[in-house]
Amino acid sequence: MTVRKLVVALVGMSALLWGSAAAPSAQMVTEQYIPIGQSPGLSGKHTVIGKLQSVNPQEKTCTVAGTTGALNVRITERTKIWLDRSKLQQPNLTGTLADLRPGATVEVKPEGHQGGVSSAPAEWIKVEVPASP
Amino acid sequence: MRSRELFSTAFVLCALVGLSGCKSASPPPDRLSQLIAKGSDLFFNETFGGNGRTCGTCHPAENNFTIDPAFIATLPKDNPLFVAEFIPALKENFENPALMREFGLILENLDGFADLKNKFVMRGVPHVLGLRTSVNSPGGPRTGWSGDGAPGDGSLRSFATGAVIQHFTKTLNRIPGVDFRLPTDEELDALEAFQLSLGRQEDLVLPLRLKGTVPKRGQAIFLDKKLGKCNLCHVNAGATSNLGQGSLGNANFNTGVEDLPDQPARLTTQKVPRDDGFRTPGDGTFNVPPLVEAADSGPFFHNNAIETIEGAVAFYDGEAFNKSPAGRTLAKLDPEGKGIELDGTQIVAIAAFLRVINVLENIRQSIMLLEASLAVSSSAERARLLTRAVHETDDSTRVLRGGGLHAEAVAHLQAARRLADKAVRSHFFGRKYTEEAIREQKKARAFLVE
Repeated sequence: MTVRKLVVALVGMSALLWGSAAAPSAQMVTEQYIPIGQSPGLSGKHTVIGKLQSVNPQEKTCTVAGTTGALNVRITERTKIWLDRSKLQQPNLTGTLADLRPGATVEVKPEGHQGGVSSAPAEWIKVEVPASP
Repeated sequence: MRSRELFSTAFVLCALVGLSGCKSASPPPDRLSQLIAKGSDLFFNETFGGNGRTCGTCHPAENNFTIDPAFIATLPKDNPLFVAEFIPALKENFENPALMREFGLILENLDGFADLKNKFVMRGVPHVLGLRTSVNSPGGPRTGWSGDGAPGDGSLRSFATGAVIQHFTKTLNRIPGVDFRLPTDEELDALEAFQLSLGRQEDLVLPLRLKGTVPKRGQAIFLDKKLGKCNLCHVNAGATSNLGQGSLGNANFNTGVEDLPDQPARLTTQKVPRDDGFRTPGDGTFNVPPLVEAADSGPFFHNNAIETIEGAVAFYDGEAFNKSPAGRTLAKLDPEGKGIELDGTQIVAIAAFLRVINVLENIRQSIMLLEASLAVSSSAERARLLTRAVHETDDSTRVLRGGGLHAEAVAHLQAARRLADKAVRSHFFGRKYTEEAIREQKKARAFLVE
């Protein structure tokens, strides 16, 4: 085999394997049904739980006041937003940017393990829909 | 001897036999053993407030922690596996009973729950043996058929949370606290410990000194980087890969299984959407499973597309694989640019090797179970361990006979099975039968490997 062929093969192999392998391997779809604070291995370690301090719909950013301070995150086209209606004993639903309102209790998971990094993109945001008073 | 003396002697003898069965008090179990025991109880008995299923519903110990059509056919109609057939709220879009019964396929909504009617995949149930050797990768833990089976941090520990949401729910609303409850942190710890305790705790070190002519040749082809090439993606017949640049851990590959023609489930009139593998949208890759456990845990691949181990090996000689990204990569790595090209006898030889290493593992498990049964004081626990050993021995016999291999070993395995079965039912001679069963297992093993 020529050196060129070997390099091509190895690059192809890397793309084959590492294109997806470098990304976290967790699946997100069932995360929709996990209430705030209960995501296994994530809640409290790699997420921020707190009140939304501010939301900027134009810049698509929001700031969460967690126990260790405020975290600013970006909402991208990849960000999943879910409405946690478990306290209402209702099915959780997919939400939108419009559902992010200051004062709402949220749990935010930055992409990767970028907890604490300012303006990191958000992988997902759960918004608590409180039980009726 | 007068009758009174005879009676006294008999009484003393009985007392002695009875006392010999008493065990001295065992040391208290360590914390890990307790955690594993708790995990076992959760795995087989906890329904998490759902539809009645447990983890053991789809991962039964007596069937190598997986299900297949033959096993499914033995289950009563009200088994929780069949909840879609008798719980009205789960009648639509939860399972496909026809595909479950005929092909052992389970419905998964891996791309979300927004469109239950159209967005789903049908997958076989992976066994949970040897997980300690088959989950870790540099890219993070890989669980399930596409390597992204667990929510949260993606770990094996978190897997049960996703499984409860997908498979245990009472209704399609999937409301936590109503349709199911999520496992607690302590329960996840215990379930993980239990699952990691199952099966092999380390990989084989090939080559083994096999005695059978055909399995020995099969091992050689398996290890040949120019011929079988199997060891590149299944190092030591496990679940880790090394294409020449160092270990990739438990990797994902696109091997073209989804491009196979005439996939059994798609020969029916049932809707079987294409499965795009890892993540959403998927990249077409699926996770590498270990091969030691393969021969008695088919059907094979994520979609149960192939029933036999010979067929599974033959897949790699076919167009679907050799035209796939993984197949083309192997060809590029080959000095002659060749993919995998095997003839019929070579395919059978590799399969014979896989059959033999599976049986060696089953024998190891059987001996472990038989020895464990000698150490427990509870008769119920002893019976359970012996019954498991019987199942493993049945698997060993079936796997060897299915390949026409090692008839003499089969005879010893059958003897071992009879003895273990007798041990289950014997009050006084259980130990004797169990020890003999162990000897028969070892005799069988001696025909397979030096």
